[in-house]
Amino acid sequence: MKLSFVFSGSGGQGIMSAGITLAQAAIDMGKHATYLPEYGPEQRGGSAKCTVVISDEPIISPLPKFCDNLIVMNEQAYAKFGEDVKPGGILLANACRITETNAPEGVTVISAPVDDLALEVGNAKTANIILIGILIGATEVVSEEAFKESLEVKFKAKKPEILAMNLNALQKGIAIGKQYKK
Amino acid sequence: MGEKRFMKGNEAIAEAAVRGGCRFFAGYPITPQNEIPEYLSWRLPEVGGVYVQGESEIASVNMVYGAAAMGTRSLTSSSGPGISLKAEGISYLAAAALPAVIVNISRGGPGLGSIQPAQSDYLQATKALGHGGFHAMVFAPNSAQEAVDVLYNAWDYAERDRNPVLVLMDGCLGNIMEEVELPPMKELKEEDIPEWSLSRRNGRDWQGNITPIYTELILEGLNESAGFMYKDWEENDVQVEEFMLDDAEYVVVAYGIASRVAKEAILNLRAQGYKVGMIRPITLFPFPKKSIRNLDYGKVKGIIDIEMTIPAQMREDIELQVLERCPVYEYGRSGGVLLDDEGVYEAIYEIVSGGENNG
Repeated sequence: MKLSFVFSGSGGQGIMSAGITLAQAAIDMGKHATYLPEYGPEQRGGSAKCTVVISDEPIISPLPKFCDNLIVMNEQAYAKFGEDVKPGGILLANACRITETNAPEGVTVISAPVDDLALEVGNAKTANIILIGILIGATEVVSEEAFKESLEVKFKAKKPEILAMNLNALQKGIAIGKQYKK
Repeated sequence: MGEKRFMKGNEAIAEAAVRGGCRFFAGYPITPQNEIPEYLSWRLPEVGGVYVQGESEIASVNMVYGAAAMGTRSLTSSSGPGISLKAEGISYLAAAALPAVIVNISRGGPGLGSIQPAQSDYLQATKALGHGGFHAMVFAPNSAQEAVDVLYNAWDYAERDRNPVLVLMDGCLGNIMEEVELPPMKELKEEDIPEWSLSRRNGRDWQGNITPIYTELILEGLNESAGFMYKDWEENDVQVEEFMLDDAEYVVVAYGIASRVAKEAILNLRAQGYKVGMIRPITLFPFPKKSIRNLDYGKVKGIIDIEMTIPAQMREDIELQVLERCPVYEYGRSGGVLLDDEGVYEAIYEIVSGGENNG
């Protein structure tokens, strides 16, 4: 199985971090993955995009234009990349910042209030973990257990509350994603 | 077995350099290569090496000149605009017969260009890296892993030839994260330091001398031996990947990131029954002339040069081997706009399915 993901939004929304975390989890599971960031010169507020390809086979090109899973975190990203998702794919939109989505035919739209959910969990920075939770729930690209393990490793040095908060964010995401599991 | 890691291309380059014996780096920041100096700033001191952020590109390349003269495996890295600034120093390295490795993580050009990736420095890398008509071996890996392999061995070539080596990669390959297997640390001993280097002056009865200036007859002699060295490279050091050429009616020529996008397209076209293959230069200089020259032009109907720059820069090197035996086509994106799978597939498809335009 080979799946491509494009995460897009603006700098500071955790776009790059979401991409790396997902790719790293896939690698930890013994899959192959590439992560390719694209960004402007700004540290915050500029456009941010990354492309992740995950496959059971070694990856040849890391540069698909059309992806299986498009994640858009704001209006600008949606306007720019909204069409770049394959039929049969998923368009995951941050409902807090994107009011209306007209997905291409055959594309499943998941419109989730990611920012609000993150605040509910306790920190806006958990938005990217919620995104990954939704993707895991909907595609099973990496197993729930494997991703939990990689979160445990990632937050080992931090306070236990931080890990608990991120696991909570993951669960919230997975619960949403599962509603769209084919 | 080496050690597997999920690493950014730039960081993999830096780690492979250290494991290949690099103990001195001087550079100046520029996107998209900043992870190389950032990584080496903490990694080199760990292994007893020296990291300097120079006050400029010109200062940095000249620090490399000094360190290389002492026999230390030395590295500098930059992107196109910075490589232009280093050109003088690189020419001096060649003149003084000093081994050093230069990495160019290239971006859109000319001028300051864009900070996004592009393959716009082919001509600079292969034809005129500086004044005075010298060449460096130019390696163009197409993955983080191949970059690791190239950097690990780059000083072996540089010291063998007493000549700088250039590694040319675009910003995609610098910034991509993928799996790499890292080789073990090369343990270099005192006696591995080149005999000619200034640090081995002690104990011998003549004083070492490193200079980039010569009297005319000596310089002519050095120019001649450089010419022989380039011929030698062409005979012995060409690295090339030939992919699905046996029955190919169309042959893509692409290097670096473009070759990966092209290979994906070729596999998809093969699945549709189109006989497409690829020649991928791994060394851009020496260029894999024979691979292109010796194709069966009774069978090959066209060559397709795919590069992430417009106009294509490798085209003339290709045409010199094709010698009008078939048409040469080109496709690219430029200025920091990336090639993508669908675009490259469409471009090749249009040519191989009988579209006769864009020749």
